[in-house]
Amino acid sequence: MIEVKNLRKSFGKNEVLAGITERIEKGEKVVIIGPSGSGKSTFLRCLNRLEEPTSGEIWFEGQNIVGRKVDIDKVRQHMGMVFQHFNLFPHLTIKENITLAPVHLKLMSREDADRKAMQLLERIGLTDKADTYPAMLSGGQKQRIAIVRALAMNPDVMLFDEPTSALDPEMVGEVLDLIRELANEGMTMVIVTHEMGFAKEVATRVMFIDEGVIKEQNRPKEFFENPRDARLQSFLSKVL
Amino acid sequence: MEVMATLWQGNLFLSSRMSWIDDLKRGLIEEDRWKLYIEGIGVTLSIAAVACLMGIFIGVIVAVGKYYGSRSNSSFFWKVVAMICDVYTTVIRGTPIVLQLLIIYSLTVWTRGTYACMIGFGINSGAYISEIFRSGINSIDIGQMEAGRSLGLSEGTTMLKIILPQAIKNVLPALFNEFIALVKETSVAGYIAVRDVTKVASSIKGTYFISSPLYVAAVMYLVLVLFLTFLQKRLERRLARSDRS
Repeated sequence: MIEVKNLRKSFGKNEVLAGITERIEKGEKVVIIGPSGSGKSTFLRCLNRLEEPTSGEIWFEGQNIVGRKVDIDKVRQHMGMVFQHFNLFPHLTIKENITLAPVHLKLMSREDADRKAMQLLERIGLTDKADTYPAMLSGGQKQRIAIVRALAMNPDVMLFDEPTSALDPEMVGEVLDLIRELANEGMTMVIVTHEMGFAKEVATRVMFIDEGVIKEQNRPKEFFENPRDARLQSFLSKVL
Repeated sequence: MEVMATLWQGNLFLSSRMSWIDDLKRGLIEEDRWKLYIEGIGVTLSIAAVACLMGIFIGVIVAVGKYYGSRSNSSFFWKVVAMICDVYTTVIRGTPIVLQLLIIYSLTVWTRGTYACMIGFGINSGAYISEIFRSGINSIDIGQMEAGRSLGLSEGTTMLKIILPQAIKNVLPALFNEFIALVKETSVAGYIAVRDVTKVASSIKGTYFISSPLYVAAVMYLVLVLFLTFLQKRLERRLARSDRS
């Protein structure tokens, strides 16, 4: 579904991604871990070109999405993204947050979008918040809204950029529960996270990125029990 | 003759309260002189209104142009646009408005000085408003643009639907400051023979040697500004509904 070929990204002289080649198949749940500054977020953000790759190719659903001629807006409609800081639109109500993109892009009529938004809100138990503004929600609620906002576009893949890192500890659970639910429904996902327990449980594959390259990857059980890379061993010993 | 008149005027001032009212009567009521003020305030208002709309229009375009040009990966086209915008704000903010009006008035044969004023003040306030909008756009977290783009919205749509509404809310006080300044600045329109309310007042004063017209004009400006302040408060209250209650 996503195929990355020799992806490189530099910020000035600082090379953050030093050539990554990787395939992500439909239905996979890939969890990416690594120390801060390792390039894992940059890698994720390159997948929908929020960061412009310096070189390399990214193939998504049979199309190389790197290059000026690509209508990246169209591509992004099929890739949902969830951010560390939620990035809800504070001037819009919860319902408007969810319906803005599908209605504006003419993917749904206003009525259909409203109905879908209410279904999604019902699923996360927040229908009573439909007409309130983001400022009135807790962090966990905001992040769950951000997730369903992305879901409202019916994406083929969901990208999560440290979805629980900005949350108070007691709210991490509700967000992970929702992500886990999506995973069980078969959604293809790429998740950057520091939640090792969650990675172990949800991932079909765990990837360790360090110094801009994938140092090691494996099924979660082997990955956590028998890490081979020295850097990964020391990283795991610190975080587990 | 002039000396006599000045003495006489001073005399009026120093005499009783009766003469002050007399002064006002002569400046405002006799020969329906109040109609001149109404005409004058009409000119002031129309200049301010047109200039304000034009200023907002120019301001948004220039601010957005500068925003697009300032990004690290912006194209050559946007860099040139941003440079032109920079020259515009530098020149307009760096020269006096009276001079700008005189220059614009001298440029073409304007059928009416009022039109030159509308354009002149519009171009002038555009420079200030663009800086206000620019600071407003910069005050919005980059994550808002990223969130909009990640949903598949174009850069323009995200700007229009997500960034600008929030930016405008943030800069509303500064914006109204500019509007208020603009209304009062139009009082220099008399320099190019436009009969705005200040010009009307000063010419009535000059003709009849009474100072009441100046106070009348002052009160009119004050009422206008009070109305703008009222408008600002109402708008701010309406836009505050998305804040935590």
